[in-house]
Amino acid sequence: MTVTLDVFPAARYRDVVEDRDFPTVREYQARTGRAALGCYPVYGPFELGYAAGLLPVGLFGGGNRIEIQTADSRFQSFICSVVKSTMELGFQDKLGPFEALMFESICDPARNLASIMSRNFPKQKVTYVHLPQNMTSAAAPDYLTSEYRRVLAELETVTGAHVTDDDLRASLATYNALRSALRALYAFRAERPQDLLTGELYTLTRLATIMDPAEVTPILREALDAARARDGRVKDRIRVVLAGAFCEQPPLELIESIEESGCYIVDDDFLLGWRLFRRDVPIDDDPCRALALAYLNDSLHASTKHDLRAPRAKALIESARSHDADAVICLIAKFCEPGLFDYALYRKALEVESIPHLYVEFEEKMWLYERIRTEVETFVESMLFR
Amino acid sequence: MTVAPEIRYQGEMHQLQKEIMAKYYAEATAIAKGNGRKAAHLLIAGNPVELLRAFDVLPIYPEVNVLQIAVRKGSLPLIQKAEELGYAGDNCAYVKADIGLFHSGYETPFATIPKPDVLVCNYVGCNVYLNWFEHLAELTGAPAMNIDIPFIRTLDGEPTADDVTYVVKQLEELIVLLEQVTGRSLDWKVLTKIVERSAQTGELWSQIKEMTKLRPAPYDAYFDSVTMMAPLYTLRGTEEGLRFFEVAHREMTAQVNRKQGPLPEERFRIVIEGPPPWPKLRVFRDMFSRWGAVAVASTYSTVGGLWEFGFRHDPAHPLESIARHMLSYNVCNRTFLQRYDQLERYVKEWHADAMVIHSVKSCRLFSAGQGDMREHFVRDLDVPTLLIESDLEDPRYFSEAQLRNRIDAFFEALEQRRITAGRAAGGVA
Amino acid sequence: MRYAAGVDVGSTQTKAIIVDESHAIVARALTDTGAYLVRAAERAFESALSEAGLPREAVGQVIGTGYGRFKVEFGDAQVTEISCHAKGAWALIPATRTVIDIGGQDTKAIKVSDRGEVLDFAMNDKCAAGSGRFLTNSAEAVGLQVSEMGARSMDSKQPVRLSTVCTIFVESDILTYLAQGKKVEDILAGVHGAIAARTVALVRRVGAESEVTFTGGVSRNIGIVKAVQEKLGVPVNVSPDSHFTGALGAAIFAMERVLAGSAMTGSEVLA
Repeated sequence: MTVTLDVFPAARYRDVVEDRDFPTVREYQARTGRAALGCYPVYGPFELGYAAGLLPVGLFGGGNRIEIQTADSRFQSFICSVVKSTMELGFQDKLGPFEALMFESICDPARNLASIMSRNFPKQKVTYVHLPQNMTSAAAPDYLTSEYRRVLAELETVTGAHVTDDDLRASLATYNALRSALRALYAFRAERPQDLLTGELYTLTRLATIMDPAEVTPILREALDAARARDGRVKDRIRVVLAGAFCEQPPLELIESIEESGCYIVDDDFLLGWRLFRRDVPIDDDPCRALALAYLNDSLHASTKHDLRAPRAKALIESARSHDADAVICLIAKFCEPGLFDYALYRKALEVESIPHLYVEFEEKMWLYERIRTEVETFVESMLFR
Repeated sequence: MTVAPEIRYQGEMHQLQKEIMAKYYAEATAIAKGNGRKAAHLLIAGNPVELLRAFDVLPIYPEVNVLQIAVRKGSLPLIQKAEELGYAGDNCAYVKADIGLFHSGYETPFATIPKPDVLVCNYVGCNVYLNWFEHLAELTGAPAMNIDIPFIRTLDGEPTADDVTYVVKQLEELIVLLEQVTGRSLDWKVLTKIVERSAQTGELWSQIKEMTKLRPAPYDAYFDSVTMMAPLYTLRGTEEGLRFFEVAHREMTAQVNRKQGPLPEERFRIVIEGPPPWPKLRVFRDMFSRWGAVAVASTYSTVGGLWEFGFRHDPAHPLESIARHMLSYNVCNRTFLQRYDQLERYVKEWHADAMVIHSVKSCRLFSAGQGDMREHFVRDLDVPTLLIESDLEDPRYFSEAQLRNRIDAFFEALEQRRITAGRAAGGVA
Repeated sequence: MRYAAGVDVGSTQTKAIIVDESHAIVARALTDTGAYLVRAAERAFESALSEAGLPREAVGQVIGTGYGRFKVEFGDAQVTEISCHAKGAWALIPATRTVIDIGGQDTKAIKVSDRGEVLDFAMNDKCAAGSGRFLTNSAEAVGLQVSEMGARSMDSKQPVRLSTVCTIFVESDILTYLAQGKKVEDILAGVHGAIAARTVALVRRVGAESEVTFTGGVSRNIGIVKAVQEKLGVPVNVSPDSHFTGALGAAIFAMERVLAGSAMTGSEVLA
């Protein structure tokens, strides 16, 4: 059977992943009676919510679909868009499917957002997870285990469920399968980027943030099979690693524009939290501890995770090398302090390693991509005709 | 007719502060010149300075250094130096100034800052701290430790028992690190003595803060508090630091007895939220002084620690009390809504007429969402509230005409309301 | 009859108003501010005097307002334009409870009492400053005069979306849209929509209580007024004297001083 582009699984979901009325979530809720747990980026222990009978759903603000009308009056103009547009979802009554919201210690505006959301939208229970930033302390595993137990207890009060360790182990296994499918797609894209475009991979990954992991995993596997069946011609493009869009998400059109401007994206940090672990979380006696240890010792580098054992600039260089990339594009959200700080370190390390890079600033609310397209094309030309 | 007062309140405490800070910076310079003593860089929010002092390690606060430079109009070239190296316009200007300072050989007009022998990143609320010290670790190669302070996140507004255990264990790990750096082991008797002095300092500082509940307030709880904050962080736990607060307490008591305030007349009592614009501090202060506005309380003065609501260090449980100080007795590690409560207490218990929110772009911990705060105070609590913005370190964000315009309009409106209220009460306006 | 005057020194134009004891306007004057603020203020005031046919000494008090208020050197006091716009809008339309003013430097939303006093106000963030300049740059990019923008935008059927109100990027965004074949009126409607969205966010900070009055020069741009009205969901008043609101407010403060024969509302403090 031959698979053509327009029936490729990603194409079907292109619109649904950006729909801020969350049609898939509403449909799921009507079918299963499960409420949703809105998960603010970057990473949270989704497994706990799923075990408690909630559907964890990625809450990535309003994208370029929602016009901010009220949230601008709560957050200043120097605050990034995803903070404001997430708040705006509440003002525009889009949070209906969510019984609880989960925020994590990723940056200062997100931290204040958690407080402000709880004040303005009391219908949604706000859970705040403090992820440890001392990865080397002997006390960190105990701390994070107890933190996950505390979060679990909060989520239990939302659904009234009593969660057993068996429930947790089942949840870990379900998310292990999901992440394994995503890892396989990412590995395939690195190997044959001509047969799995980043816009497609992004759509599929994004789909994983709004669907039941048990239901989305088969779709991802089907997509991988479909991609494998392709036999695309390798175009004269440079291979790039993208870094910086780990929280606020660029419009899909922007991601596509970058690729169409002469790149194959071979690694990125889009939707990072949903595929954070390098390998399966072990299913053992203490599931909360297993999840905690996976975060502390077995997770991908992230700009919001400060691991003094492993500098992120080094991890970026390693990614560029192992993916055989020609260049790095730092695609950083406007006003994103963690992203902007990392850029200063990335830039230095990339220069030392003689890896060419391009700095591109984006905002979720974009409708014009000409400027960025021109920048990327120019950059690619400078590489190809070197 | 009231004009900007030429006479500024300059008491014994201001003079003493200058002396002891000069001495502190002389110690810093001596280390930089190689006298063999060790220096640690750490951060203001909920600082665990007691542990460093117990090892005779000099605490160096990059924030204090760069704000001192900003007050002396020297911050912009340092910020620009960092921006040339790839730091963004939107990054915290404290960090940029410190990075610029490193690349300028740590030379300042008032001291040579010693390079860190150890980097103690007390991650108390501020996420930028983590980035900052990662960058310093890379630049200096010094051994570094993040002390991870779990943020307040439960309904009762208290840290969990596990949080306290976790922090105490990390402090024990810090002790091991400091033992390695200094080559000596911790003398618990010394630490206990230091913690006891911190408790006494906290008591004096707390009493000083109570005094601004009186009319007139004996000092400005924003602009004069910053004078007391530098010794509170750099010298807390030392005899000299304690003596400073004894002097300040005595002086404030005398001010109270004389019914004397920092201005000739106290016409408006305000609460100020947010850090000050260091590069333009005097200009900014005058914008309030010309209206007879005196700050009676400020959240900025609780960045390093919040003592006025009852917390004291406990010499019987030194590590646990240091942990509690870091976890919940400073404004930075409390939730945004706890800050609303803190401000509401200030407005009510300190009898304020209005609130001023100074939104600084650099510090999103403080500023992100202050529009919602303003909304709450104006709509729900009926407290006249002014939101103005500039920056704590970057003079390019200070627009004097714009600020003056807004501050003038705010006090015009307050005064208008007073006149109307006076007329309604049948009095003469 | 006693008279008082207000002089509003703005960044582009300087306005003067003379009122009588009943707050009725007896003269108005308008002049370009130019580089010499002191002279502009004098010019406007003298022109108003001659229109009123009054000698200088007939005017009991003069109050300066606007960014150049400290340059009204012949004035008796200064009051900020926030207080003056509130007072002036209330004088023009007494039912006013919310005032919107888009100026060259600042945009403001003011909540006003039934006596024209400022109850609360909000002004644009620093990064969102310069709506006036944004309009000028947009007009230049499409080859129109600022005064032509409003009427032209009314023909729009499909306004474009502008990602920011950043004056730096607006020109390149507009050029992109022109290259895509978008109509000028749709681009202008997009520009007005972006400014209106920012403005309405400010109004929400103080609460959009009826009636809403739009003051200042930009209120003559029908496209922006309409966009603000749509986004707010309530009607918006624009007085024919809207351009003079600040000067009128200042003149009324000056008249209060004349009548009271002593210090009033904050003015002496500002002197």
